[in-house]
Amino acid sequence: MTSRPVFFFVRYGLILLALVIVLIPTVWMGTMAFKPFPEWTTATGDLTWLPKEATWGNFEYIFTGQTEDLLVTLDRTAERPILASLLTAVLGTAIAVIAGTLGAYSVSRFKIGNNLPLSVLQLRLFPPLAVMIPVMIMWASLGMVDTWWGLSLIYGIVTLPFAFWLMKTFFDDVPIEIEEAALVEGCSRFRVFWKVTLPMVKAALASTCLFVFILNWSDYLIALLLTRKDWVTIPVYMNSLASAMGGQMYGCKAALGLIAAIPPVVLGIAIQKYLVRGLTFGALKQ
Amino acid sequence: MTAGLAHAGGGWLPRPLRVLFADEVKRLGFLMSLPAQLLLLFIVVFPLLMQIYVSLTYWGPLDGESWIYAYKSLNPFENYGELFADGRFWASIARTMLIVVVSVPIEFLLGLGLATLFVDRFPGRRIFYSILLTPMMIVPAVAGYMFFMLFQSNGPINDLLGRLTGLQVDFVWLSDPDLAIVAVMIADIWQWTPLMFLILLAGMMGVPEDQLKAATLLGANSWQRFWRIVLPKMKMVMIIAAVIRVVECFKIFDLLAVMTKGGPGVETETLSYYIYKLTFADLEWAYVAALGLFVLIALSLLAWAALLRLQIAQRRAETQPGA
Repeated sequence: MTSRPVFFFVRYGLILLALVIVLIPTVWMGTMAFKPFPEWTTATGDLTWLPKEATWGNFEYIFTGQTEDLLVTLDRTAERPILASLLTAVLGTAIAVIAGTLGAYSVSRFKIGNNLPLSVLQLRLFPPLAVMIPVMIMWASLGMVDTWWGLSLIYGIVTLPFAFWLMKTFFDDVPIEIEEAALVEGCSRFRVFWKVTLPMVKAALASTCLFVFILNWSDYLIALLLTRKDWVTIPVYMNSLASAMGGQMYGCKAALGLIAAIPPVVLGIAIQKYLVRGLTFGALKQ
Repeated sequence: MTAGLAHAGGGWLPRPLRVLFADEVKRLGFLMSLPAQLLLLFIVVFPLLMQIYVSLTYWGPLDGESWIYAYKSLNPFENYGELFADGRFWASIARTMLIVVVSVPIEFLLGLGLATLFVDRFPGRRIFYSILLTPMMIVPAVAGYMFFMLFQSNGPINDLLGRLTGLQVDFVWLSDPDLAIVAVMIADIWQWTPLMFLILLAGMMGVPEDQLKAATLLGANSWQRFWRIVLPKMKMVMIIAAVIRVVECFKIFDLLAVMTKGGPGVETETLSYYIYKLTFADLEWAYVAALGLFVLIALSLLAWAALLRLQIAQRRAETQPGA
């Protein structure tokens, strides 16, 4: 496109506007996390974008249950939900990626399991709530409600479509000749997969793991339905954070929100190259 | 070699499996796709049968009996009859559709606009691109909380509006019957425009450069190039982006669960949120099962029709040379 000065300014102007809109909510939460109690709302003072007296008090409060500003103490601190989020997201990712990778290879190379591509996609089509009743009954009767394995298992299932499709497109990209050469050398088919193909898609596999992890980490609904107390994840815990004296715990929740927001943003930027492929189930490659 | 392996390892298997396992490719393919198939069996076949069964009864979690005994309150299709007369259900669907038809097109157009700004190189492109993508990576429940804070009547949005207009602005966004849904839409647009931007930009970058150069040589201006070459070439990408967003937006839950809890009243009660309330506040699980099944069938039919249309379109494109 022509680089006339007008276009130059219009472009930067519009991008700047978009950046401001994108950043406002994030910045508001980011600074709120460091504001002491009196600055949370306008009720006690003027609205400021930057904290006047920045403090770590909010973080201290959610981790230790008490801080100078607030009279009430917290009966449940944030470590446990953070641990729950981390553990279930990691295990869910492991389940999805292992099942997805094996299935994808089988479909991509052996044309076996050809029902998988569409069957896993349909897992993403329906609103989860429309199909949750039997899942909740099953989880309850198998004793999996509010357990780490129960939550990890369902995470593994709901993110299976992404893992499967991503890995399928990566396997489809690997030239079949290399594998054929290894076969001629006398490798068994599984050895070819394990020793030849898998190392070739190592970077892609790592990105798939991160991508699926982000999705699992981002869940709110499933944890809301299938956990009660011991294994609530960050978003569920965050929403239950309300002080006994009523009123919103703006600063504390913002601190927790910041903790929840950072990992996916960092990881997301790290795997930017594969985001399009992942989000379109491999239909589009960048 | 393969036959030898089957002999050595599969002698104890039943005959159909032995035949299957005689071939190395078939055996390995079967074993490798097994975990995914089992997960699907576990989450699709089993629950679906259970859902059909429970949906034909009045069973609820407070009955004190296992769902197996739900047949005691068997009522062929009464739940389904009730569903058609359930005004709240249809209203929630209409509300969900409203959010979809307002938010998704806006996200699409904003994303497309942003993508056109990013097609060619300019200083700062990479960093701006990364920042613009951040909203979609933020946990939706957290994004909901961000907007919950922003939309407080004494919050920063009213403050900003007040400064820009010079007037006293005190909208009670989240408890205003008309504004609450707008607030939810704004949050959805904020979070998901980046997804559209990401996908559409990828599609735009995929338009062959030589065609654009050829068009320039033939005297096409940038407007003509955009409408005549870029957009037609991006048709498939645009369809994919739109379909993904429509499907996801239809499920909308997290944002409004945090921002409005379906309120004020039922003003922002979408399909997902209505089902959620039925499940946990009213505990009418049999009715929810029926309702869910109805939604499932309706969406399946829609998806099936869409796939069929796509196939027809593809076949037509194939038979028309040069299209």
